[in-house]
Amino acid sequence: MIAGCSSSNSGGGNTNESTNTSTGTTNTSTTTEPPAAAANEPVDGGTLTVSTFSDIVNVNPIFVQDTASGDAGYFLYSNIYDFDRQGNVAVEPWSLAAELPQISADGKEYVVKLKNTAKWSDGQPVTAQDVKFTFDTIKNPDAGAPGISLVDKVAQIDVVDDYTVKFTMKQVYAPFLNVLVAAVVPAHILKDVPVKELVSNPYGTDPAKTVTNGPWKWSEWKQKQYISFDADPNYWGEKKPHISKIIYKIYADQNTEVQALMKGDVDLTQAIPVTQVEAVKNKGGINVILQPGPQYEYLGFNFKADNFPDKFVPFTGQKTRQAIAYAINRQGMVDNVLKGTGKLMNAPFLPGSWADPADSVVNYDYNVEQAKKLLAEDGWVAGEDGILAKDGHRFSFELQYNSGNSRREQVSAIIQQNLKDVGIEVKPKAIDFSSWVEQNLTPGKYEAILLAWSLNNPDPDGESTFSSKYFPPNGQNQGFYKNEKLDQLWVDGYSTVDQEARKKVYAEVGKEISTDLPYVFLYQYGLPEGIGSRVNYAEEDAPEPTLPYGYFFHIINWWVK
Amino acid sequence: MTEYLIRRIIQSVVVLFLITLVTFGLIHAAPGGPTQIFLSPGLSQEAAKIQAHNLGLDRPVYIQYIRWLGDLLQGDLGYTFKNHIPVGKILWPTVGNTIVLMGAAWILSLVIAIPWGIYNSTVEYGFSDQTASFISYVGFAMPTFWFGILLQELFSLRLDWLPLSDMWTMGKEGNLGDLFMHLILPVTVLTLGFLASYVKYARASMLEVLEQDYIRTARAKGVKETRVVFRHALRNALIPIITVLGLDLSILVGGAALTENVFNWPGMGRLFVEMAMSREYSVLMAITIVVAVMVVVGNLIADILYAIVDPRVQLGRRGGNLS
Repeated sequence: MIAGCSSSNSGGGNTNESTNTSTGTTNTSTTTEPPAAAANEPVDGGTLTVSTFSDIVNVNPIFVQDTASGDAGYFLYSNIYDFDRQGNVAVEPWSLAAELPQISADGKEYVVKLKNTAKWSDGQPVTAQDVKFTFDTIKNPDAGAPGISLVDKVAQIDVVDDYTVKFTMKQVYAPFLNVLVAAVVPAHILKDVPVKELVSNPYGTDPAKTVTNGPWKWSEWKQKQYISFDADPNYWGEKKPHISKIIYKIYADQNTEVQALMKGDVDLTQAIPVTQVEAVKNKGGINVILQPGPQYEYLGFNFKADNFPDKFVPFTGQKTRQAIAYAINRQGMVDNVLKGTGKLMNAPFLPGSWADPADSVVNYDYNVEQAKKLLAEDGWVAGEDGILAKDGHRFSFELQYNSGNSRREQVSAIIQQNLKDVGIEVKPKAIDFSSWVEQNLTPGKYEAILLAWSLNNPDPDGESTFSSKYFPPNGQNQGFYKNEKLDQLWVDGYSTVDQEARKKVYAEVGKEISTDLPYVFLYQYGLPEGIGSRVNYAEEDAPEPTLPYGYFFHIINWWVK
Repeated sequence: MTEYLIRRIIQSVVVLFLITLVTFGLIHAAPGGPTQIFLSPGLSQEAAKIQAHNLGLDRPVYIQYIRWLGDLLQGDLGYTFKNHIPVGKILWPTVGNTIVLMGAAWILSLVIAIPWGIYNSTVEYGFSDQTASFISYVGFAMPTFWFGILLQELFSLRLDWLPLSDMWTMGKEGNLGDLFMHLILPVTVLTLGFLASYVKYARASMLEVLEQDYIRTARAKGVKETRVVFRHALRNALIPIITVLGLDLSILVGGAALTENVFNWPGMGRLFVEMAMSREYSVLMAITIVVAVMVVVGNLIADILYAIVDPRVQLGRRGGNLS
């Protein structure tokens, strides 16, 4: 499984508190220029020091959920399939699979063939049994695996022969292809562990007991300080890693991280707070990649009457929601808060991706007059205090976000001011991330929220976020948004494996969702990556911020000097 | 003395028990649990529930407390919820690291502050005294993280004289010279903070003693001023200082989270902040216990030293009415 970003670190100005979804797409544009030294020939050896502000939790791919553990997994495990730069599922020399999966004509069977050369770090072969064991375990509710919802459409997994495994689906489900971009665990090590005890098994937390199959081996974990990985001398792949040691160094917060990058103590930092990007650039010798990543921020409405005083939901009218979209200066946020490291969005598809409906969506320019007009048409009338009212209810709502996230603090203040200008009272409320998740997000108890989705894989399917099948407590549609047309379109979207046909469906989704607005989609944003001058790579191996773990894209081909 | 010690120890155990009860209750009353942090909202609530059940987090708080206390009495601090690592394995190295940092700063500030304060008491409102006051104000007023960042910017990033952060240079673990270099900046920050109060305590305490009748008598008898100060006054002036130092012992392990964060020092203060964020109750409780024990032990040591330095205290205590 690929983990998203759900950090609760409060340090730094631009922490990436967001939630995960399997929806989304990828950006096809390429990144920045590689460092000047890239023209040089690769050299073997050397140490790459990567900084982070959170420690790993568990690198066992079945339980990986946080970014840091996912990063470690990227070094330690080979995936069955990988993504190419455009976000397509691909077979790379370092993938476990020998070829792309054979998908049956009815779209319900995926036959995966593994390379017969792949080996675990203890010398055992990587087999179809490992694949079956991994997915069966994720499917088993007793394991408590976070990825369980990604495999709920798998009916059965069969081992055809030592290196061939067949997945049979309950229904056609196109996004499943992306689910196969996943690491597996060694069945020969874990098969006798009771499923309930897997999470507390030392596999995944003890370097000596964690048998892996990737280019690097896990050599040491000094809790809260660093994790080190050494190139595995017995790595099975034809392409061997150039870098002989990777140190994953943990800092107390992003500010400390950035200072270490500037001092040269670390070579790569995944998230430079936007407020410090200029300082890093001015320092010189550091390549800063500003392209936005696979995450977007939104203003989410709640449609459940119980959440409002007098059970009056002010967001019921479509024109009202559109008015809010017109009233918010999104471009101003991108320019002033994100300092240009973001792109406007009108639908839940990343700009430039294959499913991006581009012109077929409604774009909401900042237009105060249009907003006022729409509000009037929807029956809102200014009250004595200047705040709009309808049927005796003032247009006033609470906007929740998590404390310690300076980006959201600024954005919520802008929303408050923008909406005040059209007669809507917004009461921003910052809540500690953990409490917020438990008390408000999971049960869907709020009036409006400022939140982001971090997209786990490049598939555009968004059913679990927007369909009325997924109201809390069973899903991610925390705003209780119901639109029957969209409910059906999401199903249409994943019920065919033909990409052209899917593209048409998502164009339709884009049009409907941008008109109806369960969210005001704000922007795709980025976590600027900083790379020191010691790090070299060819242009085709440059980091690809739009992909999950794209900051390490093709790291097996990188070298340090 | 023995009876007094035993009584104090029993008192301490009761206090510690009450501390665990209150902190356990408070920590569990705070919203947001470890499985909520572990799992993203909505992705899989069923997984969160199963994990909570597997970890025993769905049981009533009092049962969790009794189990935790039982384990603690057997010397078991428990496991982290997220990845089932023994708490001790995470905690003890950070305690050691914090003691190194705080101990260095504490000793350095004592070595500077006590002689300085004593000297200042003899030259009230002189240049040295004014300087100490100035430093005290700066020490109290300046946020440590800001001062730390200033020092880093100047001595590490610009001048490149000292390491920016961490306890050791990677690969040089155990090298005392390397540790010394890494200590300079954070110890400077912390020492400034300690100095501020210690110089003032030492000075005030000494001044109070110097105004006593027996000092005046000594002076009247023609005893030399240095002898008055060091022989007659110092011993008595140290008593209140010892009390303060005893109470401050807990600082040695409690750490200074901000300073540890700024300098990326792998200590207990930093660990506490991080664990509070992720609701790792078992680690938070362990840290609370360590600090509470230090506070109680610090108090005890202060009282014992007090009794040694000033025999009158023991007599008073025997009477049972000095507290």
